[in-house]
Amino acid sequence: MTTTKTPSCPFAASRRGFLLGAGAIAAAGGGAGAAIAAESEAARPQVADAPIAHSDARRRTPFYGVHQAGVVTPRPACGIVAAFDLVAANPEELQTLFRKLTERIAFLTQGGRAPDRDPKLPPADSGILGPVIEPDELTVTVSVGDSLFEDRAWLKPLKPKTLMRMAGFPNDALVARSCHGDVLLQFCANSQPTNIHALRDIIKNTSDSMVLRWRQEGSVPVVPPQPDGKSESARNFLGFRDGSANPDSNDDALMEKIVWVGAGDPDEPKWAHGGSYQVVRLIRMLVEDWDRTPLGEQERIFGREKWSGAPLGVLGGSEHDIPDYAADPKGDLTPLTAHMRLANPRRPETEANLIVRRGFNFSNGVTKSGHLEDGLLFLSYQADLAQGFLAVQSRLNGEPLEEYIKPFGGGYFFVLPGVRDESDYLGRSLIEAIA
Amino acid sequence: MTLANRLKMGALAAALCAPGLAWATQEAPLDLVQPIADYKLYVAVHTEKLIADATKFVAAIKAGDTKTAKALYAPTRMNYEAVEPVAELFSDLDSALDSRADDHEKKEEDPGFTGFHRLEYGLWEKNSTQGLSETADKLLADAKELHARIVKLTFPPEKVVGGAAALMEEVAKTKISGEEDRYSHTDLWDFKANFDGSQKIFVLLEPVLAKKDPDFVKKVAENFTVVDATLAKYRTAEGYEPYDKLSEPDRTVLSAKVNALAEDLSTLRGKLGLN
Repeated sequence: MTTTKTPSCPFAASRRGFLLGAGAIAAAGGGAGAAIAAESEAARPQVADAPIAHSDARRRTPFYGVHQAGVVTPRPACGIVAAFDLVAANPEELQTLFRKLTERIAFLTQGGRAPDRDPKLPPADSGILGPVIEPDELTVTVSVGDSLFEDRAWLKPLKPKTLMRMAGFPNDALVARSCHGDVLLQFCANSQPTNIHALRDIIKNTSDSMVLRWRQEGSVPVVPPQPDGKSESARNFLGFRDGSANPDSNDDALMEKIVWVGAGDPDEPKWAHGGSYQVVRLIRMLVEDWDRTPLGEQERIFGREKWSGAPLGVLGGSEHDIPDYAADPKGDLTPLTAHMRLANPRRPETEANLIVRRGFNFSNGVTKSGHLEDGLLFLSYQADLAQGFLAVQSRLNGEPLEEYIKPFGGGYFFVLPGVRDESDYLGRSLIEAIA
Repeated sequence: MTLANRLKMGALAAALCAPGLAWATQEAPLDLVQPIADYKLYVAVHTEKLIADATKFVAAIKAGDTKTAKALYAPTRMNYEAVEPVAELFSDLDSALDSRADDHEKKEEDPGFTGFHRLEYGLWEKNSTQGLSETADKLLADAKELHARIVKLTFPPEKVVGGAAALMEEVAKTKISGEEDRYSHTDLWDFKANFDGSQKIFVLLEPVLAKKDPDFVKKVAENFTVVDATLAKYRTAEGYEPYDKLSEPDRTVLSAKVNALAEDLSTLRGKLGLN
């Protein structure tokens, strides 16, 4: 096998030549030269080398806080949700599980060296990220489902006010094996292997009380930084921006109102303060059909221009422009049945229905008919399930977009309050509230 | 002949021509000599019983007695399922006796699909013994061959010790879903045999383990107790309820505890100093 590498293009050759030359000159200077030489070596990767991570790989998202991370945290490129059934016959068993989850998530999100074990034993860590686990901005968000409460008499009185089992909407075709769960774990990170590693770690460490029910992976397109420093909503698999109308997730006061359950929700059990309702929907998108639909029709279905994301009829506008529906009562510009107009009619009385969406696109395989099984892993957060997602989705029933989408799975969950510090654990307020 | 079959024939020929097994047997550490000798006896008793039960099962099939054959299917299989970690060491026999339709390209119609599940398919799906004679004879012949090979075998300690976890993994991986006995739905009989086979290994090793790690022994014993108690709910006069009677919560409990047992028992080899 040859070790000689021929430069594939003149530019590469000259660049390397330059670096090597610079290295030779700088070598006299010591350390700096070595660094440059190392860079020139790094510039000649082999086919199966691990791709070099974005510098974000070493960044951490704090684990401790009033709220769990992964809800109003900016969404990274990759996500997985995994739903589990629980074996927890009493509060002690549930507490043991919550403590174990806390311990694993605190480690995984902050990173570090995997423990060494006697090689005669199975290793403690899967090893898929190597001996040192980089945090990669991982967040693991734990939420609980309706069945956790309904199936346990000692938890039933503590169920959050509007938490319920997901029921099918008229356009849904729910598949039992992709719905519901006692506990949902949401993993988000810059790269999918980081999420998979965390999922495997948690499965290995909780196998005596959690059984995996279903999971869904997803990602969003990564874009280069904009020259003006502005950011924009990621596109879904229909090519449209998703999340344009989200309320400002950096506005803490607004998030307290729209996303987090708190003192302003007197009907909620006190343990739930600091938590949030989470909606997970697995929505298949019929992308082949969509790609055969005229652009103008696609834009009328959404109510937005495909490239800019601007509301229809706003010349040179952006996705953040507010559409003026009052000036368009008959829907000449934005059809009355357009997705964005139904979802958020921008009327004072629909302000209460605002939600934060934070989804991923999925690509699952091939149907029996040879079509792509692609779609949207829809994730939303709200302080009230009925006022939030349920109200919005009810308005969307029968929308023209339904011709191209088919929800088949997911569920409704409640994100547990955050872990304050090292003495705290996930679900503590719930465990302590058990009579 | 399909490629898959040619490969299988090749494997069979190799196994017959070169009885040397594909693993290197480690010397059993001194404290494992007695447990392994006891385990060998346990396995031989089961393979002997397998021959006796299969003789009756095969006779019923050849007599065209579908009802009796159906009644004998699950109890006969249990003898095999209890000693699977050792039986599986002979991959040619394991494939002939216990492969599923999924293991074959043409599924149920594949000529390579033989053994228990082929007979199960005929008895339940077709509700008939018709055309099963040859497969039945082969099953009995393979059972006899298995017993003969096991009697001559020096049991590899790592396979015996590792077998406790392997049986649990087997259940966790491909049986808990009810796909093993998909025509007869007698899966719970298999579970019982797999659990017993795993527990037997654990109980034989318990005196050695108790000295080294009493907490571990306690935890594993507790999980076995939960598994046994859960399965016992489905006991009937003849054996076990059909798989579809298994409730969702009990399935979750079995799944969790079997996974936990597989996880814990996978450390047995290391704990006992075996590679």
